[in-house]
Amino acid sequence: MKKRMSLVLFVMLALAMVLAACGNAGKEATEPESSGVQAEVPNKREVAHALGTTPIEGKPQRIVTLFQGATDTLVQFKVTPVGVVESWSQQPMYDYLKDNLKDVAYVGLETQPNLEEISALKPDLIIATQVRHEEIYEQLSQIAPTVVTSILYDFRETANIIGQAIGDEDTATALIADWEARVADFKSKVSAVEGWPLSASVVNFRDDHARIYFTGFAGSILNELGFKGPKDLVGDDHEIIRLMDKESIPNMNADVTFEFFEDTDIIKKTHDEWTSHPLYKNLDSAKNNQVYIVDDVTWNFAGGLKSAHLMLDSLYTHFGFEQ
Amino acid sequence: MKYWTFRMFHDRISFQISVKWLLITLSMSLLLLLLFLLGLSAGSKWIPLTEVAQQLMGYIDTHSFTVETLRLPRILLAILVGASLGVAGLILQTIVRNPLASPDIIGITSGASLGAVSFITFGTGIISMQFLPFAAIAGGLVTSLLIYIISWNKGVTPIRLVLIGIGLSAILKSGITFMLVFSDAVVTTKAYIWLTGSLYAANWSDVSAMSLWILTPLPILLIWGRSMNVTALGDEVAINAGIRVQLQRFVFLMCSVVLAGTAAAYAGGIEFVGLMAPHIAKRLATKSFIGLIPITALIGASLVLIADIIARTMFLPLDIPAGVFTAAIGAPFFIYVLFYNRNR
Repeated sequence: MKKRMSLVLFVMLALAMVLAACGNAGKEATEPESSGVQAEVPNKREVAHALGTTPIEGKPQRIVTLFQGATDTLVQFKVTPVGVVESWSQQPMYDYLKDNLKDVAYVGLETQPNLEEISALKPDLIIATQVRHEEIYEQLSQIAPTVVTSILYDFRETANIIGQAIGDEDTATALIADWEARVADFKSKVSAVEGWPLSASVVNFRDDHARIYFTGFAGSILNELGFKGPKDLVGDDHEIIRLMDKESIPNMNADVTFEFFEDTDIIKKTHDEWTSHPLYKNLDSAKNNQVYIVDDVTWNFAGGLKSAHLMLDSLYTHFGFEQ
Repeated sequence: MKYWTFRMFHDRISFQISVKWLLITLSMSLLLLLLFLLGLSAGSKWIPLTEVAQQLMGYIDTHSFTVETLRLPRILLAILVGASLGVAGLILQTIVRNPLASPDIIGITSGASLGAVSFITFGTGIISMQFLPFAAIAGGLVTSLLIYIISWNKGVTPIRLVLIGIGLSAILKSGITFMLVFSDAVVTTKAYIWLTGSLYAANWSDVSAMSLWILTPLPILLIWGRSMNVTALGDEVAINAGIRVQLQRFVFLMCSVVLAGTAAAYAGGIEFVGLMAPHIAKRLATKSFIGLIPITALIGASLVLIADIIARTMFLPLDIPAGVFTAAIGAPFFIYVLFYNRNR
């Protein structure tokens, strides 16, 4: 018996070694391809990002953006990408960006962008984000220099990384200063509102449940503007709270409620069911007529600098402030 | 002559092959080869086979990234994943003598999934994603050991193994749902894609790591596999024939776990292949366990490879998870097997 086991072990070990050797051979064969012609280009720089440091030279001309926020934000730099990923609604691209992206190529979904399509575009810069593209970072880097943001919806980080990567940090600074000036303006106006600081909840309806968006894109902007979170969720730090049952409606309680949902019959039905529930009618916002239906693209899907501005626009409108 | 008999290493390894078996193995290999070549050519841009061949032999260098970095490792991984899922299913169906057993039904895949989903939920952005396979394999191993220990009652009977596996699987699935409900939106999306099963982002290190894992159980299957034919006749017959039934069951269960667990680790929760491949193999060829191994592996590999080729070419430029297609074929197949077996 002992003899037999050692034979098994020996065979396993031998196979393992042969395979390890094969694996390495295959790897080496594919490596030399990313070497391009190395000419001396000015403005050589190292861009530090979520997954490392990427050397970039000159001003990239053929940029591929792999998440919604990067596409939106890159357009604010007056740069048109050559390839983008499909949008989450209004496919293939959100209406507010369509005019800027007429001749752009689509490289698939944000969650699984098509690597063959990306490489066919022969880009010289790829902008990705960690949570979506960590697994393909090595392959992307073989196609073109790739920079990666660490938080998907953080449009400031996206703007800064884009600024460094395309060698236009001045515009990045100006764009962020612009945003901050508008935030300051809104804050000065909203502080005159009775009961300020108001609490706000961002509610989303799905086929069979509702969600409270808490610290994500919309939540972080509302927080920056001085709004407090939903009254009963103080101290919670979930990005999204899924409400599977109407009994949890009181969690939505706030002075103002912003609702967004997709325009389908099933979701409308869910919305009607939830909003006609006695617990919903008992919410402060519902009692005081402070429920607003907002755009799901700018408040949630897009996650870029332009959509942040559009979201702020809608807040100006709802509160009746002059811009 | 209908059979050839092979004996080697002083009769430690022995098996018989028939003409029919040989023909089917050859034709299945041919099918897999054709799919392999199709997979190399098909993609967002069609590359003629002549150019693929020239690229692989190093005469031209125009498609090196597409063919050698993207398509080849992905195809090889699909083959390895499909083959291991198929063989894992075959082992389980033989151990428990139930045609409906497969790694995704008795809880091994659920265990691996819970490991992977926990890793994605708690580790995204903190731990490098390259460690995800370890979490999945660990989940699968722990679960199957748990199933085994709970089933133990002076030995393990197949029926207890299945029932406890199904029960444990239900508990694990509720754990997965719990985690999906409580995690952030982006993380949930990532976990869903993992659970569907996808060969996206396959690379050479995945291929070599996966090959190591799946070759480990192979010698065990070859050496001990012949006794499985006897155990298939029932525990009493096997014990009378001098087979150590409990040891055999444990070792083969572990082989199945290693195969199914690694497949899940590198391709996520691809379902139904472990159920379908052994059935097709049994319908085509023999009832002998060792004889079924290569045919099941070839069929499993072909199934996953077809699914992945469809997934990455049918809706261009979209690249969608291959698991969508194995589930689409697999669910009706499952009902068919149930229906077919109702009078038996």
